[in-house]
Amino acid sequence: CGFAPAYGPGSDAARLRGRVAVEVPATVSGYLLRARLIDRLGPAREAAYRLDVDTSEQSEQAAISADGAVLRYRLLGRATFALRPAGGGTALAEGTVEAFAGYSSTLGTVASGAAERDARERLAVLLADQVMTRLLVTPDLP
Amino acid sequence: QGLAQLVADSVTVTADETLVARGNVEAFYDGTRLSAAAIAYDRAADRLNVTGPILITTPEGEVFTARAAELSPQLEAGLLRGARLVLDRQLQLAAHRIDRTGDGITALTRTAATSCRVCGGGPPLWEIRAARVVHDEEARQLYFDDASFHIRGVPVMWLPRMRLPDPTLERASGLLVPQLFSSDTLGFGVQLPYFVRLGGRRDLTVTPWIATGARNLELRYRQAFRNGWTEIETHLSEDDNRAGPRYALLAEGAFALPRDIRLEFDIEAVSDDAFLLDYDLSDQDRLDSSLRAYRFRDDGYALAEITYFESLREAEASASLPPLVARLEREKVLTPGIGGRLTLRADADALWRDGTGAEASRDVARIGLSADWHGAGLVGPGLLVDTALRVGADGYAVSDDPAQDTAQTRLSQAAGVTLRWPLLRREGPASGATQIVEPVASLAYAGVQGDTVPNEDSKLIEFDATTLHALDRLPGEDLVEEGLSAGLGLRWSRIDSAGRTLSLQGGRLFRDRVQPELFDNSDLSQRRSDWLVSSSLDFGTGAGVELTASFDDALDISGAEARVALEQAQFDLSAAYLWLEPDVAEGFDERITETALDTTLRFGPRWSLSAQARYDIAAEAPVRAEFGVGWRNECVTVDLSASRRYTDTQDVDPSTSFGLSVNLSGFSAGRPAVAAAGRCEG
Amino acid sequence: QTQMALGGLDADPDAPVEITAESLSVDQATGRATFTGEVLIGQGGMKISAATVEVIYDEASGDISRLEAMGGVTFVTPTEAAEADRAVYDIAGGNLTLTGDVLLTQARTALSSQSMVIDLAAGTAQLDGEVRTVIEPAQ
Repeated sequence: CGFAPAYGPGSDAARLRGRVAVEVPATVSGYLLRARLIDRLGPAREAAYRLDVDTSEQSEQAAISADGAVLRYRLLGRATFALRPAGGGTALAEGTVEAFAGYSSTLGTVASGAAERDARERLAVLLADQVMTRLLVTPDLP
Repeated sequence: QGLAQLVADSVTVTADETLVARGNVEAFYDGTRLSAAAIAYDRAADRLNVTGPILITTPEGEVFTARAAELSPQLEAGLLRGARLVLDRQLQLAAHRIDRTGDGITALTRTAATSCRVCGGGPPLWEIRAARVVHDEEARQLYFDDASFHIRGVPVMWLPRMRLPDPTLERASGLLVPQLFSSDTLGFGVQLPYFVRLGGRRDLTVTPWIATGARNLELRYRQAFRNGWTEIETHLSEDDNRAGPRYALLAEGAFALPRDIRLEFDIEAVSDDAFLLDYDLSDQDRLDSSLRAYRFRDDGYALAEITYFESLREAEASASLPPLVARLEREKVLTPGIGGRLTLRADADALWRDGTGAEASRDVARIGLSADWHGAGLVGPGLLVDTALRVGADGYAVSDDPAQDTAQTRLSQAAGVTLRWPLLRREGPASGATQIVEPVASLAYAGVQGDTVPNEDSKLIEFDATTLHALDRLPGEDLVEEGLSAGLGLRWSRIDSAGRTLSLQGGRLFRDRVQPELFDNSDLSQRRSDWLVSSSLDFGTGAGVELTASFDDALDISGAEARVALEQAQFDLSAAYLWLEPDVAEGFDERITETALDTTLRFGPRWSLSAQARYDIAAEAPVRAEFGVGWRNECVTVDLSASRRYTDTQDVDPSTSFGLSVNLSGFSAGRPAVAAAGRCEG
Repeated sequence: QTQMALGGLDADPDAPVEITAESLSVDQATGRATFTGEVLIGQGGMKISAATVEVIYDEASGDISRLEAMGGVTFVTPTEAAEADRAVYDIAGGNLTLTGDVLLTQARTALSSQSMVIDLAAGTAQLDGEVRTVIEPAQ
């Protein structure tokens, strides 16, 4: 039915494996996003490509009880990415992806803090996976 | 000393040493340009007598028009009659007479100042009339004497003396835009912010709130350092809601230290739980004052943080929160010879409670060491095999809780493999779209030995697309899963050449045993979890929808969350919906379903409407509603807002508040004027 | 005699006129004399130089009534200097007409135009056509 393995022999996706250097901002979300992208792309020994990713994060209140307690938050994440040859040049693939991850704050402060950190980790995985999907569909990489 | 130039169609030199230029007369001197009907240069007196209509433009951007004038050849000093001065193409000052001294001082007598378009004979929307106005070009200030403020020609306010910065001045001490407000908690009143510029890097805004039911002094101090900034906001008030003085301190700051280390602090303290809500400063329900230092690099990170919490919630005693929490985290990332990514991690956290009774006074400290290896390889026809190994050891020290041993240790291990087989199909050049189907299967094993350590973290596993194949699904470090778990998922995405994306994803989690620590009603602790479905739609032009939901075999929904965001020229909208089944372990025993909406509609350059609402569907009660109307033209911006908060506790009652702010553009304190100057009708 | 400090020329139409040139040709019928080649005319403190100058004499008195200078004319007086393409000096009428890229410079002002008519008796001057005046303001 016309579907072929993305990582088939000699495919574009296979050419990315272990050859992409990932550059992120020096923040928590940047660090987590880079960790997940490297797990999905494979650590780069000598990078033939460079993936610049910029992340931004916003928190909104998802549920407020009648007595004003904030029961749930929602972290909104946005990642703007651009894949270029290692030496620079025009972007081979670029775009912006968005996702959200909710967490509860109904228990104590330590539980809410742990839930927030977990939400930030999940958000990084959701964004990284969307970036990977966009990279996998990029045709005719040099 | 430059030369004054005069250009005209014809010049006549009279016997008494005067040179009269007529016809398209223009004079230039050192960047100042004057055009007029006729200019007479009296050499003996070294004066230019100019007959109008006169237009003078100065290098500083001032524009003068006048009927007649006597000027020095340098076109600076002199007197204009029936003149108008325009500053920064915005503020017009019409005067019976304008005297310009040579050194940048312009005095206008019997003046009318406005930034509104003056149409036909009618008075402008607003103007300031003054017996005398002095414009100091150097200090960029306008000093008004015997000034009266007129709306549509009707005098509404009289001020013996007034000083306003001219439009070209960025940071100047002076009165900012006053805000009118009325609310159930404070009564009707006005905020009068006064901005004090303390040099180039510091400023202080003093804002007295004067209202029928309250008086508050708000101070906001800001300082920029070479490597950081700090902002301190204090409130000191007394009002009818509560006896005695009330206060709030909200301070924060961030500094960049050498070797990429960042230091941040945040202090939040209030006199009573209801202060922030009564004064509509924030709807935070917990205050967290923290000191944080961290550094993130490609090969790892380090973080140290200590936080003091104070709860504003009615049912929560700060003492047992716990109020004081400290955390240390350090990670080192290596790429070993065998490939993949090895992360060595050390972390510690400690919490102190000072409540009464075991639960409310337990203090816990934990130290943990762990190593994570993650590697992947291609196998067969494009099959990606991802393996992950994790080993960890945690030591706990517990005090003030007889039910817990004082020292406890625990070991944990986990291993997982994830198979990913992405398949591509390129549609024809018509749409330039590509479809990708990605089946993913994962199998993980987790083992635990040692004590059942105290759990301070939450017990709720969030069920989203990452949960299916994660190795460690529980938030925090105290709880760890046990046994075998398998995740099956399938994701289909279609991405077109313009980046528009539609993606659908589904999956389910299987376990070999029910998780002891998680209570049974959380579906993720069962042997077969609910179905998970999540989808996202990105139209590429600032419009997107994201949805995730879980339901059981009988299609009964156990959780859902959705969000829509649209950003268009004429309107932007963001709406969210949440459905959470009750979870006693997690502290809420009835279903939470809440929806929120935030939208702004812009009707042409003048009108804008904004609305925010939050509704608790389960309790069938609104939580918050706000409505705003904005009107702006070239010389005034009016913002009217009404908001209602339904929070109802012992300290806080449902309250409605209104706000009105009128901002005159044309003075640097006001926002820049919108270029929507209407044409003169009729 | 008014002292034309500004915009005029410090000329005395009654003073005697001396003319030197490389060559002279006289047309008995019209009573015109045409000087050509480095023509230099002196009258009082004013010196006029031009490529060619035609002199017209008054039949009755035999005095010079008009001078027509062409091919680039310059006037120099102790306080001013002027130049133009052509100039007509009507001594009898007491006025001087300069035409074509006229430029007059004085102590602190310079005037340029397409044409300039100076009434020596009244002390006035009329400039027309793209008049440009440069004034150096007094200190």
